[in-house]
Amino acid sequence: MNLFNIFSDIEKIDPEAEARFAFTRRKMLKTTSIAAAASPIFVASVINKAYADNGDIVSVLNFALLLEYLEADFYEKGLMSGLPFGNKRALFEEIGKHEKEHVDFLKASIAWVGGQAIGKPEFDFTAGGMFPNPFSNFDVFLTLSQAFEDLGVRAYKGQAPKLFSHRDVLLGALRIHSTEARHAAEIRLVRGLRVWASEQETGGAPAAVYKGENNIHHHDAVDLISLTYNKLLEMAGGDQTPAERIVRESFDEPLTREEVLAIAGPFVRTAMP
Amino acid sequence: MEKLNTLPDTKKGPSVPAIPSVERRMFLRNLGLASASALAVLTSCAKEDLAVPQGGLRRSGARVGATVLPDGSIDLGDGDIGITNMAYALEQLEVAYYTMAYDRSAGWSEMDRRVIRELRDHELVHRELLKALLGPYAIPELEFNFSTVDFNNRNAVFDAAQKFETVGTGAYNGSSKFVQDLELLKLAGKIVSIEARHATLARHMIQPESRFAVAHELIDNGGLDVAYFPDEVLMKAQPFIKQKLSGSKLPAPIM
Repeated sequence: MNLFNIFSDIEKIDPEAEARFAFTRRKMLKTTSIAAAASPIFVASVINKAYADNGDIVSVLNFALLLEYLEADFYEKGLMSGLPFGNKRALFEEIGKHEKEHVDFLKASIAWVGGQAIGKPEFDFTAGGMFPNPFSNFDVFLTLSQAFEDLGVRAYKGQAPKLFSHRDVLLGALRIHSTEARHAAEIRLVRGLRVWASEQETGGAPAAVYKGENNIHHHDAVDLISLTYNKLLEMAGGDQTPAERIVRESFDEPLTREEVLAIAGPFVRTAMP
Repeated sequence: MEKLNTLPDTKKGPSVPAIPSVERRMFLRNLGLASASALAVLTSCAKEDLAVPQGGLRRSGARVGATVLPDGSIDLGDGDIGITNMAYALEQLEVAYYTMAYDRSAGWSEMDRRVIRELRDHELVHRELLKALLGPYAIPELEFNFSTVDFNNRNAVFDAAQKFETVGTGAYNGSSKFVQDLELLKLAGKIVSIEARHATLARHMIQPESRFAVAHELIDNGGLDVAYFPDEVLMKAQPFIKQKLSGSKLPAPIM
């Protein structure tokens, strides 16, 4: 089931993968989730191979589906737990509903392009003990919620160019992408953080979630600070304007599939074939 | 309106010193545009009347930038330039809106004012980047009319803000169907989620930690955010823009 279905799908496409996976699969089967999570780089490398970037739209969508399964399951478990949502419950119910809808939408999209959707994996939201009590400690729950949403935004952003040849699928993915950005923004506000992602303010989420967010060069390395500094200064009435911060907060950055899986991997319980 | 027929930069001198011309050429080349020498011709012509010279430059079906039509309306151009000009118009609108809101917010809380200022500053960065990328193909500086917004009511100001940010979000989303240049798509992806974060912040200022904050009434039953095609974008933005914008050459879905 779950991830191993993807393994066999990939093997069908790439005969050489059979040999590569034969070893890793044996090794994975012996690995408990906790041990797997304890070596996230190993997990990531295995999952990376499963999602080998062969430009296949279905593999992009299945990668997205994995993240949506993760989020949907996370909110479902959270909302069923005794966590003190208080007047935030409606917000998280709404977010959880969106994530379930994303799962259904992606499954339908995959079927529409003639692919096979992966099944829902089992998740370990403690990531092998890194986050010991996500469903009994509200701060931990919120931290993970922020991490998953900001990660989702970066993941879709990174995959969008790979969907360039299929505009309807691209449009759907981008419409999920900005929904995730709305979630991320509100959760950051709930937590008292700035709305915009940066390396400075991880809010307790893994630093890798925000790696590279401070980029200030866009499109052929245009230097936006030089470009905007005087105008920002003028508009601020001559105050020292934190141009660097404004510029970096004005853009969200993509992550590659490999980078995302390295972060999400420890939350995926991969022990059961 | 006085700037309608001139490039906004001519008075202030070049506004894009930070972008080496080679980089702008790369952008233009990506759009299937002119060679360096043709660019020079275009630039000088554009300073005259924004119109791309007829004849030579169009021989290979090169796309054209903004032009002022006989009835005084501003044509955004076609292809990626037209889409980028559309986005540039929206970013101009947002900067102008937040500038006005900030100017009229003297009695507001420090937090409210700071939010407006930060939104304005980000949009200014977006605006300047798009302007720089468009170079001589950019539409002029637009003028705006926000008289339908009650600036004495902070909730109304944040509500208009979230609506503008939603138009921006929908515009970037919808244009992904037509953009030809992959680099432009990547850039739009970096901006669109900021627009969505802005929309959320503005909503949060009205009703924090609620379904409203995450746009429950806009997100469809696939969990999908808004997407507007260029004609819808212009329809939504035009009431706030004094000059008439024409998107007649903008791409549209084939029905």
